Amino acid sequence: MRPENYQPVEHPPSHEFELYFGPNHPGIEGNYALKVRFNGDKVENVTADGGYLHRGFEKIMEERLWIQNVALVPRICVPDPPPMEETYAQAVEMLGGLEVPERAQWIRAMLLEMSRIAAHLFIVGGCAATIGQYSNMFWGVADRDRILDLFEEVTGARIYHMFITPGGVRRDIPDGFLDRLSHLLDYLDARLPEYDDLFFDNPVHHRRAEGIGQMTQQQALSWGVTGPNLRACGLPFDVRRDDPYLIYDQLEFDIPTETGGDVLARTMVRRSEMIESTKILRQIIQRLPHVKGPIRCPLPNPLAWNIPAGDAYARTEAQKGELAFYVVSNGGTKPWRVHVRGPSSMHAVQVLEKLCLNARIEDIALIMFSLDACPPEVDR
Amino acid sequence: MVETLWILGKTLVQIVIILIPIILAVAYLTYAERKIIGYMQVRIGPNRVNFSAIPLLRRGRGLGQPIADTLKLLFKEIIIPSNSDRFLFVIAPILSIAPALAAWAVIPFADGWVLADINAGVLYILAMTSIGVYGVIIAGWASNSKYAFLSTLRVTAQVVSYEIAMGFAIVGVLMAAGSLNLGDIVAAQKGSIIHWFWLPLLPLFVIYFISGVAETNRAPFDVAEGESEIVAGFHVEYSGMLFALFFLAEYANMILISALAAIMFLGGWLSPFQGIPVLENLFSWVPGIFWMLAKMATLLFFFLWFRATFPRYRYDQIMRLGWKIFIPITLVWIVLVGLFILMKLPPWFVA
Repeated sequence: MRPENYQPVEHPPSHEFELYFGPNHPGIEGNYALKVRFNGDKVENVTADGGYLHRGFEKIMEERLWIQNVALVPRICVPDPPPMEETYAQAVEMLGGLEVPERAQWIRAMLLEMSRIAAHLFIVGGCAATIGQYSNMFWGVADRDRILDLFEEVTGARIYHMFITPGGVRRDIPDGFLDRLSHLLDYLDARLPEYDDLFFDNPVHHRRAEGIGQMTQQQALSWGVTGPNLRACGLPFDVRRDDPYLIYDQLEFDIPTETGGDVLARTMVRRSEMIESTKILRQIIQRLPHVKGPIRCPLPNPLAWNIPAGDAYARTEAQKGELAFYVVSNGGTKPWRVHVRGPSSMHAVQVLEKLCLNARIEDIALIMFSLDACPPEVDR
Repeated sequence: MVETLWILGKTLVQIVIILIPIILAVAYLTYAERKIIGYMQVRIGPNRVNFSAIPLLRRGRGLGQPIADTLKLLFKEIIIPSNSDRFLFVIAPILSIAPALAAWAVIPFADGWVLADINAGVLYILAMTSIGVYGVIIAGWASNSKYAFLSTLRVTAQVVSYEIAMGFAIVGVLMAAGSLNLGDIVAAQKGSIIHWFWLPLLPLFVIYFISGVAETNRAPFDVAEGESEIVAGFHVEYSGMLFALFFLAEYANMILISALAAIMFLGGWLSPFQGIPVLENLFSWVPGIFWMLAKMATLLFFFLWFRATFPRYRYDQIMRLGWKIFIPITLVWIVLVGLFILMKLPPWFVA
């Protein structure tokens, strides 16, 4: 006798099957799960299932002092932490009415651009690794390590610098640092043709990446995609240019775009952005020695630092796209609410689900990496 | 009776003499792969395990690594998933290693150095390598895992398609040499480096080697194992020595493909300096097996080199390459080889 409320189990049709892609999968950056329904090799439906890296940063920050949060924000996104620090610092500066000295602004911009190159190397290498070319990944990681060495020299830390504080930076750059940075840029320029041969111009890579995960400019805009992913659709939108912060209005740089909107276009935009970042860094190397002055504005006692009530929305161009912090203060020593508008929370969930449709199994990891989906930042 | 026992004992000893170097070669091929790809990827590769008891090898740059790996795999637990078919699960790796080793019976390492000098040598090798794919199919089926099953479907289609292109490439060699015996195929290439079959059969040589890469599921055709897609493919549920058997089979097949390519297209044990006035005499003391091994090593290096430089092809692209490019080219070239033979094109087909 079947019970009254008996419901037969719904099986998918025999030509379809479901596969759990993650949360622990070699092709996925961080812990992130995709529940994929396949028809043969074709993807019929994708359901993104995040939350495996949820560490509750936004809530924790409400329980910490304004200055303590400096140590917390870089941990939101692992490959590209300085923009997090910068954006948080900007929001606090807006609220507290702090004026950042010019020298600190140049140093900050330098760190941001170094971080952009490092993160792009990392993510382009990751793209290569998802299609089985580990050489490019190891090269990228090895060259990124040289940038991390320089980070260590300036900030004392390789990944989580906690260097950009509200009101300035923690300390000045060491002697001879700009020369070493200049050498590094020369080295990276010399390496670029090798990367081109191995990966960017590799015919097999072009065959794999062309036409995969394509989106139009209209779609990208309506889905809220920013950063290299939007520029790969042909729209030259960049916060550094369109809403300049720090000293970016004094620098000359192009905003590279591609028109394909597919995986290949996104990779190529990242390649051109690395070149642009080296150009920016060269300009900074020339200008920074002539900018004298303090590196930090005087701060009150950080343990009893009351920031006037109000709210602030600060935005910057991180490596993944537009990054913004919305910070509300009710006049106390701690923020009342912090909201992080992470770029990948826009394009790593819904957009990823849509782009994966009609792709093949092999392309899922590639699409995810090419979107620069960063699970720690999605979950925050 | 005594005579039978004598032949049996002699054959057994010969088998051991062939198999032990092959298994050692497989072990050190993994070491070479890790080292070579390591240097190509700006890292060092294994460098910790050394033979500290032997003075010369005390600073051996990780030469002990394959031995350590083998020991580790031997002592690991073999986990058999509860939902798997136990019998098939265990038989699958055996099915893939046995033909990979058995195929070596007909390979001549030097003039006359062959275990079984049979006239259908090439056919025997084709038969053995086709059995090998059953191990993979059964492994994927018996594991009862979606990832393994997906990989099995891919391997089956891929290996079957590339076997056709490979078979046609071999047909070209058979026509040129006029024999299925591997020793005779080498003998037909005597003369000089230009007499080797790589030149008249150049497209077939390239297609044979690329098909060989696809046949052994190596990068850039490693969709069967596609680490970032289907995790490890057919052997995702295997552990310990059962996994090691798949590993052994893959590398033994790589060496086999290189040996065959060396025999059929690069003149096997023949010296590359044959027919060159001074150099020929200068190098006449070098034993044939050295040239054979050198040619195999060069081809094996290509396997590793491919892995470090090429991204993986997508599965449908692999199938397109196999069916729409390789098979037509081989078919056309077989006709051309027929014409060459009819025209008695010098210097290859004069006989």
